[in-house]
Amino acid sequence: MIEIEPHHLIRCPHCDAVNINKTKKNRCRRCHSDIYPYSNFNTEKSWAFLVTAMIAYIPANLYPILITNKFGVIEENTIMGGVISLWEHGSYPIALIIFFASMVIPIMKFLILIYLMISVKYPIKKETKTNRYKLYFFTELIGPWSMIDVFVVVLLMALIHLSSIDIFAGTAATAFAISVVFTLFAAHAFDEQLIAGKNPKGEI
Amino acid sequence: MKIENEEDLDNFVICRRCHTLHKVLPLHDGFKACCSECGALLYRFDSRLVEHGLAWSMTALLFFFVANFFPIVQIEVLGNTQFVTIPMMLEALFEQEFYIVGFVCLFIVFLFPLGTFVIYGVLFLLLFFQKGERSIGKLLVLLSHLKPWNMVDIFLVSILVSLVKLIGYAQIHIGTSFWALVLFVLVDIYINKTLHLSEIWILQKVRFKKEIE
Repeated sequence: MIEIEPHHLIRCPHCDAVNINKTKKNRCRRCHSDIYPYSNFNTEKSWAFLVTAMIAYIPANLYPILITNKFGVIEENTIMGGVISLWEHGSYPIALIIFFASMVIPIMKFLILIYLMISVKYPIKKETKTNRYKLYFFTELIGPWSMIDVFVVVLLMALIHLSSIDIFAGTAATAFAISVVFTLFAAHAFDEQLIAGKNPKGEI
Repeated sequence: MKIENEEDLDNFVICRRCHTLHKVLPLHDGFKACCSECGALLYRFDSRLVEHGLAWSMTALLFFFVANFFPIVQIEVLGNTQFVTIPMMLEALFEQEFYIVGFVCLFIVFLFPLGTFVIYGVLFLLLFFQKGERSIGKLLVLLSHLKPWNMVDIFLVSILVSLVKLIGYAQIHIGTSFWALVLFVLVDIYINKTLHLSEIWILQKVRFKKEIE
């Protein structure tokens, strides 16, 4: 017979099995993978990934993402420039999709992750834990969608090689891909257990 | 809260969205249980999960091959026609020396989706023949690492976006691969987003327990 408190139970992120939080090093009883292997680093690992992503996001917006060679006239478009020109041409839904995927979602993800990591260190009493779990779930859900812009550029580049018009990807495509991949890493490295206020030293 | 041993924890489930603890209740065939706090799906019960899963993963693999061998889209400008397939798209990236984007795309739209469904296929086959309990466990862990990186659905939306962008420039003919990709994404959403890996873990436990008895 084991007596346990419900808040000592944690979910294995790999197989969803319910485990008892043994506070030091947890090993899932079902799939034997370490639960929260980064907990020794606290949030540092996640911060490192996030900062990398944020740095990569700057050139992604400054350099052209799409270079069009139309009858010898070279036109360079940044992400925001592309959105604006799409809007001016009247394709509002596409302009909105690109705007959301490459501006709103990454920035929102940066802010939510920063908020989560700060709130883990300096808890705000008003905010419930359930809400923060939902917020984290939300960032994991929307995160990959910022890849849309990269895929579009890649497709256009592969498709359009004609005598009259030629499309190339710009430096920003690489920077943007790096930024998205690192935000995903940051979100994965974030230790959900920290939300519950169980810090890695095992003080609950 | 009192439990007999650690195994008894299988009678509990924690919601993946809001981390509320729930007790597992037996369900009728084909029913599902949702979280009382946030409404997220907790688990389902499907008595023929192995057969269904096997069928779905075969279907997905079939569509995946069709999607990769045929052109996604063909364009026509002033008599010049040009088409693109997924391998061609990846090749173009490496030719133009976009290695980072090339590798990211190679993994996200080719290797990970293929890997996921090959693993699903092998898993359900092993479960069907009731063999290799250990390797099932290892494959399931591997699958849980692969799952978040599968972005075919996003790729499909990107194809649609680029098609709309092209409308002004050229005449567009949608290729076989596009429809195969649509079907693949539907299967992918059904399997990857609704089938929780915990269901397969439970299945593994049930299947191999019977054999011992």
